[in-house]
Amino acid sequence: MSHYEAPIREPLVLGDKSYHDITEDIAKPIEGKANKNWYMAFYISLAAMLWGFGCIFYTVGTGIGVWGLNKNIGWAWDITNFVWWVGIGHAGTLISAVLLLFRQKWRMAINRSAEAMTIFAVFQAGLFPIIHMGRPWNAYWVLPLPNQFGSLWVNFNSPLLWDVFAISTYLSVSLVFWWTGLLPDFAMIRDRAVKPFQKKIYALLSFGWSGRAKDWQRFEEVSLVLAGLATPLVLSVHTIVSMDFATSINPGWHSTIFPPYFVAGAIFSGFAMVQTLLGIMRKVTNMEEYITRLHVEYMNIVIILTGGIVAVAYATEFFIAWYTGSPYENYTYLSVGAATGPYWWAFWSLLIFNIFIPQLLWFKKIRRSFIWSFIISIAINIGMWFERFDIIAIVLSKGHLPSTWWRFEPTFVDVGIFIGTIGFFFVLFLLYARTFPVIAQAEVKTILKSSGEFYKKRRAQGIPSKPAIVVAKSVSKEANSDKNKEE
Amino acid sequence: MASNKKYWKSVEELKDSSIVETLSKNESVGEITTDQFLGDKETLENSSTSRRDFLKYVGFTTAAASLAACEGPVRKSIPYVVKPNDIIAGVADWYATSMADGYDFANVLVKTREGRPIQIMPNKEANGTTSARVQASILSLYDEKLRLKEPTKSGEPITWSSADKDIALQLEGFKSQNKPVVLLTGSMASPSTEQIISEFLNVFPNTKHVVYDAVSESGAADAMLAMYGKRELPNYHLEKAKTIVSFGADFLSDFHGGFEKSYVNGRKPETGEMSYHVQFESNMSLTGANADKRVVLKPSDQVFALLNLYNAITGSNVASKSTPADAEVKKLAKELRENGSSSVVMTGLNDKNAQLIAFAINEALQSNVFDVLNTLQIRQGNDAEVAKLISDMKSGNIAGLLTHNVDPIYSSSKSADFIEGIEKVELSVALSSENSATVNASMFVLPTPHFLESWGDTQFDSITYGLMQPTIQPLFNTRQLQDTLLKWSGNSTSYYDYLKAFATNNVLDGGSWNTALHNGYFVRTISDKNIFNNSVSLSAVAANLYNVTQKASGFELNLYTKTSLGDGKQANNPWLQEFPDPITRTSWDNYLTMSIADAKELGFSNPVKDNGAINGDYAKISVNGKEAVVPVMIQPGQAKGSVGLALGFGKTFGLKEEMQVGVNAYSFYADSNNIQYGVTIEKVEGYHEFACTQVQKTIAGRHDILKVASLKEYKTVDPKDHHHGWNKPAYVSYDHQEVEANTIDLWDEHNRELGHHFNLSIDLTSCTGCGACVVACHAENNVPVVGKREVRVGRDMHWLRIDRYYSSTVETREDAKELGLSRGETYEALETEAENPEVTFQPMMCQHCNHAPCETVCPVAATTHGRQGQNQMTYNRCVGTRYCANNCPYRVRRFNWFEYANNNQFDFNMNNQYGKMVLNPDVVVRGRGVMEKCSMCIQMTQATILEAKKEGRPVNTDEFETACSSACTTGSLVFGDVNNKEDKVTTLTKDKRAYNVLDYLQTKPNVIYQVKIKNTNEA
Repeated sequence: MSHYEAPIREPLVLGDKSYHDITEDIAKPIEGKANKNWYMAFYISLAAMLWGFGCIFYTVGTGIGVWGLNKNIGWAWDITNFVWWVGIGHAGTLISAVLLLFRQKWRMAINRSAEAMTIFAVFQAGLFPIIHMGRPWNAYWVLPLPNQFGSLWVNFNSPLLWDVFAISTYLSVSLVFWWTGLLPDFAMIRDRAVKPFQKKIYALLSFGWSGRAKDWQRFEEVSLVLAGLATPLVLSVHTIVSMDFATSINPGWHSTIFPPYFVAGAIFSGFAMVQTLLGIMRKVTNMEEYITRLHVEYMNIVIILTGGIVAVAYATEFFIAWYTGSPYENYTYLSVGAATGPYWWAFWSLLIFNIFIPQLLWFKKIRRSFIWSFIISIAINIGMWFERFDIIAIVLSKGHLPSTWWRFEPTFVDVGIFIGTIGFFFVLFLLYARTFPVIAQAEVKTILKSSGEFYKKRRAQGIPSKPAIVVAKSVSKEANSDKNKEE
Repeated sequence: MASNKKYWKSVEELKDSSIVETLSKNESVGEITTDQFLGDKETLENSSTSRRDFLKYVGFTTAAASLAACEGPVRKSIPYVVKPNDIIAGVADWYATSMADGYDFANVLVKTREGRPIQIMPNKEANGTTSARVQASILSLYDEKLRLKEPTKSGEPITWSSADKDIALQLEGFKSQNKPVVLLTGSMASPSTEQIISEFLNVFPNTKHVVYDAVSESGAADAMLAMYGKRELPNYHLEKAKTIVSFGADFLSDFHGGFEKSYVNGRKPETGEMSYHVQFESNMSLTGANADKRVVLKPSDQVFALLNLYNAITGSNVASKSTPADAEVKKLAKELRENGSSSVVMTGLNDKNAQLIAFAINEALQSNVFDVLNTLQIRQGNDAEVAKLISDMKSGNIAGLLTHNVDPIYSSSKSADFIEGIEKVELSVALSSENSATVNASMFVLPTPHFLESWGDTQFDSITYGLMQPTIQPLFNTRQLQDTLLKWSGNSTSYYDYLKAFATNNVLDGGSWNTALHNGYFVRTISDKNIFNNSVSLSAVAANLYNVTQKASGFELNLYTKTSLGDGKQANNPWLQEFPDPITRTSWDNYLTMSIADAKELGFSNPVKDNGAINGDYAKISVNGKEAVVPVMIQPGQAKGSVGLALGFGKTFGLKEEMQVGVNAYSFYADSNNIQYGVTIEKVEGYHEFACTQVQKTIAGRHDILKVASLKEYKTVDPKDHHHGWNKPAYVSYDHQEVEANTIDLWDEHNRELGHHFNLSIDLTSCTGCGACVVACHAENNVPVVGKREVRVGRDMHWLRIDRYYSSTVETREDAKELGLSRGETYEALETEAENPEVTFQPMMCQHCNHAPCETVCPVAATTHGRQGQNQMTYNRCVGTRYCANNCPYRVRRFNWFEYANNNQFDFNMNNQYGKMVLNPDVVVRGRGVMEKCSMCIQMTQATILEAKKEGRPVNTDEFETACSSACTTGSLVFGDVNNKEDKVTTLTKDKRAYNVLDYLQTKPNVIYQVKIKNTNEA
């Protein structure tokens, strides 16, 4: 089961863990009682969510006019939020699918939550295309359903229709992938559950997992197949989302580099969101020994890479806007016009949060610091929101005809719905953290002996592996865990 | 003979009658046997109504009761029981009639559907023109709020007969005591009414007729009286002019009723000749915006410049002052003399002396353009008589006051005196179609019908006689002034008979009454000869003018009328309130226009807020002791030291709350003089929220959107010349070759030769920006009114708008480079309007692109391309993603942010049963959440096609029309079928002036623009 790993590599599981320790650690939040902090966070999120739902009902009942949109700016916060949430969703699939194919073992500690985040983020994203419609009750018209309206069919030319397919495919594949990974873990909870009701629920959720070798074999096969299926989705979803803009004719939107640029940006923002969430979660659920400094560093490296791609894309956009010499390109979201125009603050927010601040990650000290990673991840989340806002609002605010130049100001409903989705997201995530195994324990167990700190040390000292249970608590373990708690 | 035949109904009856008898006894049950089931208490108690049954009963009865309580929506549409002969449901009837409301006069055609007038168009046969106000007057017919509905006495409803009796008694009393009575009317220009009035005055010799125009042109009329012996307005045949010099005369909008048609007729670049038009003015007017050269000059300087010109032309030497425009005047004097009879000078000052000087210059030039033979009759107001009336009223010398459709309490600068006076008169009768402060102050209120419900005649100029006929049964209990006066004079004929006899005997020269009524007009011959009465001492006039003007001090206020509200008569008309001013593009307001320099000095600004809306600081202005707080709108091209303020706003009485906007400038309109000197301005606290439809004022260096060339360039330079071309197409690289953008194509072209293919050509040279098309589109397409709040945040629904661009401080990036400006400075220079900018107008509506960017992006295919070239919008299918609007480079799509019909939040014409009568039944009223836009009036083109089909003929040449093209009186908008080689538009598409806006995008629009040609190189 275990593979060889060079001793100089940092361990992925800290401390002196036995298989049972892992089980206990992961099952604890589910089996134990929630603390006050959890309740507080949950109620705040719930309140935000309900407020957002209220704003949505108000919008649907009264009209899109309750938002700050106008004749020249037909989208603003709605599609900004949509793209932002979809982008956030990208890390999950990348971690679980692409890293699986590349056999990156460090993904095992974070893939479960990253995928949960993906799914919850896609829920939020999916809300916006529906509620931004003038007549959301007819939203099902965007589906190619056989109908009796006189053989009306959808318009396959429209990127919005591609979105429908892309997002729904992404959501369903992610959900299946996530669930497949959850099966052995649900079964573990099921087997430990004492209360009959809990047992029944987890029995249902685990789809009758028995733990036989055949189960494991199929599990591995399905995971691999799903990873293969999901990998192109990492590229396709945001490619298609970017085409909402790239296929249009607005200067600033009509740009051929959008697909790779958007995909990189999505992974960038997705990893930032994973950093944010795990930064909190590893503390709250005591997963410090599973989500380690090394994990954080690895993720930061992905952030530097994708952030670099994004930075190059920005530079290209800026250069091309100037290089065309076309007066119509004077005011794209990355141009002198934007930097000095009424949205200068949004322009500079984008650059500062997305380009300048992430450069700090080049320093190893910062890259390996939990707190710095958390702060930078928040900055990137903000920056990536501004990226989408800039692309949408700045571009639409300066259209082709100067007579149509206008500005956008959000109303309380715009803000309320956005806050509502954040609330909704956290409601889902908090519920998840209390009911789902937040770390893929079955998978982590597979690397315990190769990448676990204790075993690595033993190997380095030339001591053959022994069952962990037998090993008495050593000084080194205590020292290690102390060291880990410093942050 | 008796018969013993036996009749039977059934075999049983025949054979055995007993059973029939039994049955017949039981035919009806005698009593309902309630006893059987209620009487027996025991059974009743024992009967088992189970809980289930009980619930069933309760359920059923509740459901039944609640269902019965539900009321289906009641729609008050009643089908014709007996079909009227001349109405076919679904087919429009057109009537020729005339509009005359005291300020706006027009020969019009009225479209009626099922007995309801729904649209007004110019009667082009009669050379009629319509302005935005004339177009919108159809909605004033249905003004539920303001229209008077029944006669009242001191607020109590009375019958016509008792009103007549009461009033006649009093009038007779005044007559016997010889107490003065005054009939105060607006300009009616109606020969038959004048006769009726003179007959009435004969019967009541103690009565006097005074004509009161809220916005007066008394000065010109008095000047005419002095110089030519008739109190009428001179006519200007601008199509004959080579040089037009105007000192503040806004002759493209309201000066003498407007001359836009003849002006444009004299400016056709394809003829190679265009008049050269110089405008000296202080406010930026529509006329100044169209001028070849606009000289900014404050009003007092205009007077001096006029006197200087007078000196230069006539060689006299009257006192004057030098002005900043001396060089220009000198140059012009030379040109005027050279062009002699083909030149004309006008002045817009409502001042007899200034008008006399202008007349004298025209006489000296022997101008053909200036016509005192065929004169205009539409402004008869007499300021002196009105002033005398008000002072007489105040001193209690007037016993009876009959007013007809005038509202001096609102529109007179002596409003307070009038209020005091009307309380002193013994009898005040208001004959009015609409409620007003004056009506409210009168004892008797006698409602008169709207002009669309009336008979009448109008003498526009000396030769054009227009007839007015009702196009709908009177909506309310009204009676025309003429009928009333006839009755009070003891004449029992109805006005219709009177009018018919009058026209037949006096006007029609033996022509048929029916034909004239059908045509709506009749051309008369001029009988009177021109008598040049030179007894006026021009040196005295000039000296007088000079003396008055040289006292000018402080700021100079130039009061003007806006295209939207004019004199304010239709202030309760939401179409007009929402109509953006052609110059400032501001709706729902009037404001103090101030020059950029003055604003900087006094600290006024117009900041753009984050939601795109514009604010304006408040100024307290005081004029001759009267004060008001007015928001300031900084106006490029405003003369320094002068400010402008529009009349017609600030009306409050009886108006809906939303319409009570602006400041009443009439209080400053002392002596009906549109120029007021000695104005002081002071910045005060607070800011005003404007509702502007355009924020960016310049074209920001994007000159391929709106192309302008001079006449000389047009005549001598190849339009496509690589360096100097004035109509260069966009070039793109294709196979490493530079090719014209519209020659390459991503898609396979459909065969567009089949059937009809519609194009609309817009000539920017002849578009004056008047906006009649905007209102016509409103009316034709049921475009909703959204109110000030929504317009402010950029949600106006106009399908057709007229973009206005000012020239910037630096026009192109090349110029900026030459000036050595940095990149940031270049941006700023291109975006900032010049102090005295050139102005260009560009009507903009859906371009009906053959490669429409909106069509490809709609996920549900709600917007698609029509076989006839239209880009069509299927409202039913639209889910409202707004992607189409975002992807429209012209931004012409309009979204229904809210439900605009039947919504108390939008209490305009679509929220009451009268206002809804104006809706065009051929066009659906759009619901909330759908996108809408110009349809190229597909309902009109389809009707034309069907009509031709029914008549078994091909569609005639130039038969296709849209609302905007039929409303356009200058012929700027030409619509037609390019597959018909004869159609005018077919040639226009190939004109060397033709271009598409944003052709580099290759959207291939079906709307083409013609390069604006200005006559700027001559002189």
